[in-house]
Amino acid sequence: MLALASKIFSVLLAAIALSKSYVDFRGRLESFPMFVFWTVTWLLIVTFALFPSLVDILLSFSGTERAGLGTFFGMALVFLYFVVYRIYVKLERIEQNLTKTIQELALRENWVKRP
Amino acid sequence: MTSSRTIAVIVPAKDEAAVIRHVLLRIPRQIDGMAVISIVVDDGSSDATAAVATDCGAYVLRHLTNLGVGAATRTGLRAALTLGANIIVTMDGDGQHDPEEIERLVRCLVEGPFDVVIGSRLLTPHGMPKVRVAANLVMNAVTFVVYRKIVSDSQSGFKAFTRGAAEKLELRSRGYEICSEIVGEIYRKGLRYKSLPVKAVYTAYSQGKGQHFLNGVNLLIELFIRLLRRV
Repeated sequence: MLALASKIFSVLLAAIALSKSYVDFRGRLESFPMFVFWTVTWLLIVTFALFPSLVDILLSFSGTERAGLGTFFGMALVFLYFVVYRIYVKLERIEQNLTKTIQELALRENWVKRP
Repeated sequence: MTSSRTIAVIVPAKDEAAVIRHVLLRIPRQIDGMAVISIVVDDGSSDATAAVATDCGAYVLRHLTNLGVGAATRTGLRAALTLGANIIVTMDGDGQHDPEEIERLVRCLVEGPFDVVIGSRLLTPHGMPKVRVAANLVMNAVTFVVYRKIVSDSQSGFKAFTRGAAEKLELRSRGYEICSEIVGEIYRKGLRYKSLPVKAVYTAYSQGKGQHFLNGVNLLIELFIRLLRRV
């Protein structure tokens, strides 16, 4: 029952993320490479969520049968934290630049002359 | 540029059209022969804050979008330095601070020997809600952990700086964390400071405009990130 619920949850989440990504891409808010990246990423997530046994097949190719799902999801978690960290750094940089731009604009306006 | 000795009062404001006139008109025009000018930084207001402030004779700078009280204060500091202000005062635009107390802060700074005077609501916390007193004491402790400096009211937005002190400040904050960052700068730059008791005017309006619980959480997160950056 829990396995089925997690599968439905993954598919729903992927559908929302993909539709959001598509709408952003159509609205030119997201570049084509990013749209492709997120589409492939979410399709992979859904595939592994629906067919978890694929993980075992993949791990058997690398000769680490004994590592199991724990290692796989551990690596996935580390990767996700890395992505979150990169997003944070980029967001911080964007916010700093936005702040600087808006402050410069405010200080360049004709504010010195009082009515 | 202003010619004689000038005091600049910076008022960061967002959607304060309802009260800002009351605040600006009570700012003294002169203190001990020094002219007092008001600088309102309209931080992306959607109401008539800028128009009202202009009508009151203040210099008005406008942020195209809301950046936060920290960014607005930084813009105000730059404007005050550009105008050649000798003393710079920062205060809230929601009426929480009594403009008539600017004189006390300025006199304390002039009589010296201080670079910064912090208006402390916690030295005489009469009328201050107990929850706010407790929250501010917690923030004092957090500020000490992050910046290694304890002051009686680290979150006070009511401060006076000499020009020299304002020039030395290297601020990066966009939000409420600027108050703690200034405390950190006082410590880092070895500035001489004094905490002076001021009263906090808590009306339903100012309580509604003040820091909410979620702002407090954001503030803690920002300070935690700063702590991590120091490690």
